[in-house]
Amino acid sequence: MIDPITLILGITLGGVLVCFAVHFIPVGGAPAAMAQTTGIGTGTTMLATGSGLTGLVSAGFMLNAVGAGVDQMALVLASGAVGAMLMLDFTMLIANAIYVWGVGVVPASAKVKYDPITKDRQDLYVSQGTEGHGMPTVCFVSGTLGALFGGVGGSLVYWMLYHVSADPAMSGIFAIGIFLVNSVIASYNIGGTIEGFHDPKFKRLPKAVVASLVATFLCALIAIYVVPGGAVL
Amino acid sequence: MDILLEMGLVAIMGAAATVAGAAEDLESDIGSQSNPNSQVQLAPQMGKPHRIFNKAISGEPPAYGLWCSSGAVVTSVLLGANVSPLMAIAVGALMGSIALGLFAITPYLGRSASQRRYKQPIYLDVIRNHLFGIMGHGYIAIFCILIISYIMHVLLAHPFPIPLLALIWGITVGAIASSTGDVHYGSEREFQNYEFGSGLNAANSGDIVRRAEAGLRSSIDNAWFCAKYGGPATGLTFGLTVFIDNWRTTLLHPTAGLGWYAVALGVGVVVLTILLNRLIELHARNTFGPYKQDNTEAAA
Repeated sequence: MIDPITLILGITLGGVLVCFAVHFIPVGGAPAAMAQTTGIGTGTTMLATGSGLTGLVSAGFMLNAVGAGVDQMALVLASGAVGAMLMLDFTMLIANAIYVWGVGVVPASAKVKYDPITKDRQDLYVSQGTEGHGMPTVCFVSGTLGALFGGVGGSLVYWMLYHVSADPAMSGIFAIGIFLVNSVIASYNIGGTIEGFHDPKFKRLPKAVVASLVATFLCALIAIYVVPGGAVL
Repeated sequence: MDILLEMGLVAIMGAAATVAGAAEDLESDIGSQSNPNSQVQLAPQMGKPHRIFNKAISGEPPAYGLWCSSGAVVTSVLLGANVSPLMAIAVGALMGSIALGLFAITPYLGRSASQRRYKQPIYLDVIRNHLFGIMGHGYIAIFCILIISYIMHVLLAHPFPIPLLALIWGITVGAIASSTGDVHYGSEREFQNYEFGSGLNAANSGDIVRRAEAGLRSSIDNAWFCAKYGGPATGLTFGLTVFIDNWRTTLLHPTAGLGWYAVALGVGVVVLTILLNRLIELHARNTFGPYKQDNTEAAA
């Protein structure tokens, strides 16, 4: 039996991790779908959610297989993180293949002159009138890190909620809700597009973390009462 | 359950996911949903009315979450009434695709009507011609996702119920198709009037291709084109996600104490994708070369 204060704090930490994670994921929104900006061609919220939920499926399976004991917690969180990373990495890999062979553009960042990881020149490969296209290595690595944190955060929320209700379905649906709340907060903070940890917009992160802390804390308070089997206070 | 049987089920799930991904992307190309639709929406304002279907119901992920979970609820109810699983899944997918069809008509009428001032006509034959293509591809995608959810919950004992799994996989397939296959539609097919590989200058936004080899281009022509690359690539992404994620925990089953090995295997695949991405990036840089000359080097 885990005490309610720890559960609330755990859910809050998981939510904040999700919000933190979304800032790492390179999303270009609608312009990226037309190869007009660097990043993945969809919205921040939906991409982070898609990846996080794949992690949630992996974490749910692992928790069911190894049990909900504290000793197995790290394994459940790691499994969630790997599920999320696999989804996002396959998506970025095939999206890059489409940018290269389907559209004929080079993955290039418009926010930095040199890729911080490979040291490759970027600005010469940005086509005219665009803000970059595709996912160069730095964006790919940043996205992988984002999926890692998002997967851990979502799984942590699920693990904590499971200890409130012992009901996988209810814990899962509430974890999805908390995931969406934090993805939307991050999405508003980013305001459209972000390339990853090397993007100047990444510096806005502290504001989102504070907002997420407040919002998730309230969600956690409600969760303790609303989730069936809850009201452990 | 015997590991060989489990591996067979995981293989079926991977195959179903591949078909689901491809069908989902082609449905979104016929209906012109998600991000590339911003150009279809913009075109009449730039003085270019067209015969492309226009249905941004919502983002693709929540839309597919809705169709799949609606179908899954019907399937669960029928399974509870002892209907055979295949029949329950088929009827569930049918209900999901009917919902998709209903939602497809209203945004086309609403969006086209709102562009009257830009002289965009409402073509009733466009609705008649495209609706069954949209519903048919949607049916295949929902059917396959319901199969995945059924196998996971009933046969592989996943703790999430079928509607929740269908919601999650619906959101995931929408996110994947929106990120991969839609790029082929939005960046290439809509702008084939510009040189391949030149990139899309922001100033050219809204200047979509409106004429086909014969007559005016319709969204079915777009599905024909995207079925050659964007659709299968989307299927490959979703298939890999579902297959690899389940394959690692089936091969190294956590109940046998191999959970950490399954995690390590997953991390190994992640590292492999980073390396593969680097190879693709290097290939593109070497093949296409820089767009601009380095001014500092040119001066020297």
